[in-house]
Amino acid sequence: MASIRPPSRSGYRHEIVEMSAILKTEDLKMIYRVGKVDVNALRGVNVSVAPGEFVAVMGPSGCGKSTLLHILGGLLKPSSGRVLVDGEDLAAMSDAARTDLRRRKIGFVFQRFNLFPTLTAEGNLKLAERIHANGKPSLDAAARREILRLLRLENKMGHKPLEMSGGEQQRVAIARAIINRPSIILADEPTGNLDTENSTIVLDMLRELNQEFKQTIVMITHNPEAATVASRIIEMRDGTIAKER
Amino acid sequence: MDNLVLSNIRQRPTRTLISTSGVALGVILVLLMTALVRGMLNDRLRRDQGVGAEIQFYRMGGGTLSASNAMPLDVRYADRLKEIPGVRMVSPYAHYVQNGNTGIGIEMIDAIELEGYSAISNLRIVEGRAFQSDDEVIVDEFRARRGNMGVGSAIQVFGKTMKVAGIYSPQIGSRIKMSLGALQRALSQENKCLGIMVKVDDGVAPAEVARRINDKLPNNHVVLTSEIGVNFGNQIPGIQGFVRAVMGLSLVVSSLVILLAMYTTITERTREIGILKSLGASKTYIIGVIEKEAVAISLIGVAAGLVVARIAAFVIERATTLRLEFHWTWILIAALIGVGAGLIGALYPAVRAANQDAVKALSYE
Repeated sequence: MASIRPPSRSGYRHEIVEMSAILKTEDLKMIYRVGKVDVNALRGVNVSVAPGEFVAVMGPSGCGKSTLLHILGGLLKPSSGRVLVDGEDLAAMSDAARTDLRRRKIGFVFQRFNLFPTLTAEGNLKLAERIHANGKPSLDAAARREILRLLRLENKMGHKPLEMSGGEQQRVAIARAIINRPSIILADEPTGNLDTENSTIVLDMLRELNQEFKQTIVMITHNPEAATVASRIIEMRDGTIAKER
Repeated sequence: MDNLVLSNIRQRPTRTLISTSGVALGVILVLLMTALVRGMLNDRLRRDQGVGAEIQFYRMGGGTLSASNAMPLDVRYADRLKEIPGVRMVSPYAHYVQNGNTGIGIEMIDAIELEGYSAISNLRIVEGRAFQSDDEVIVDEFRARRGNMGVGSAIQVFGKTMKVAGIYSPQIGSRIKMSLGALQRALSQENKCLGIMVKVDDGVAPAEVARRINDKLPNNHVVLTSEIGVNFGNQIPGIQGFVRAVMGLSLVVSSLVILLAMYTTITERTREIGILKSLGASKTYIIGVIEKEAVAISLIGVAAGLVVARIAAFVIERATTLRLEFHWTWILIAALIGVGAGLIGALYPAVRAANQDAVKALSYE
């Protein structure tokens, strides 16, 4: 069933095949209480992402990009509105149910890599596998090797994060995010801490993963060049979607 | 290292050392206290049973393990006991309890009538002679060796200096013996004693003689020497409560150390908790990771505690006349206290970590 959504508060109109959306928000609002002041981080965001799509979200600091990403990943519960992830409404779920959905369907990549410093690269990957397995058998060795080959990490498995370059650390973080084959990858400024060369490598890898494994990627970035790898760019401003191209 | 629990233990050596020390301290407390109580009582019981008297006769409330210097029994009971069929020999005696010569623990001195006591126990003087005056004592070979004493050496008893007149063998009863008359005079307890040892005739069942004594001299305390060692905890009033207090104290100390160490660690690792949450780790999983870490630390602490307690026991035995006996039951209890302390101490930090806001945790600096 196809439908055309009404314009959002930002006035932006976007057509999408509703049934095929893997990520979808409806009138999403998020209000933070800072001291005695309410801060409207999101002011009714409507966005849809199709399976296998690579979407970049841009906008100035404080426009609500990270809040949107955290809500899409179930790390935050919105103040109001709906968040559908593969048809399941995150906003109506308990914390435990959101955690379960995140484990099954979502992989995060962060600007600061967020690897466990005491674990080797392999240890970081195995930890993610164990969490995902939740008592069931984890990923087979062949599948893990394929991901490592794709990210050119075969020789880095015994290294700890501090023994690796920023680019290598981010590749390990990407490997960790995709090791359990989530259908959605949410990347928060994945190239924000990298130099140009490593940024290019990481972006190429994200694109390759998107094409090879058909994983849906939503990537926040400040960098217009980085955004060009995406198939669609959403621009946010003041908690709303301002433009899309 | 690909295991989060083990890598955290290895990568945070100071925290691990403090936590394991806390657990080890509790284990050492429990093990040393119980080993000391058990060792001293069993050593004493073995030596008492070695005297050779099958029956001990006391007034109600008395006993061979009494730490009191009271002498509630009239020595004339010895004559009445001799009249009972089956009784071969009797020997009245008393104890004097003073601080240990090293300042640790207590030391007991037997006050005996040497002739009767020797007849029952086959005690013999192997060096020097028997005590002949109120300021002379005899000591056993162990006490002489440990105290670097020989015939003519000075020894502190009643807070005054007495002379070692002789060294005796075998090691039975207290390690220092003096004249019963001397103790009676010192404590102004003429014709009094603590108890009377009874040796029965050959071929006569001690239990039967004990029954006869009970019939003839009711309202006294007649104990078969072979039964003195049964259930040592009931032999000294208050010892069970003391041991329980030590166990409780150990549990509290160990739990608090683990709580503080884990709380600090969890605060340091707030960001890591956020990462675990972003990876989809459930609250149960996060609590499990922290509790596993605490249990692993506790197990190291238990092992360290066992080793240190063993070494401490060796040193104490070498430096004093105290005896320590470890028993697997108490080792198991100490281990359970150590691990239990870890589990309890880590629970609050673990629950707190599991309930942290994921986004705030991820942005923690």
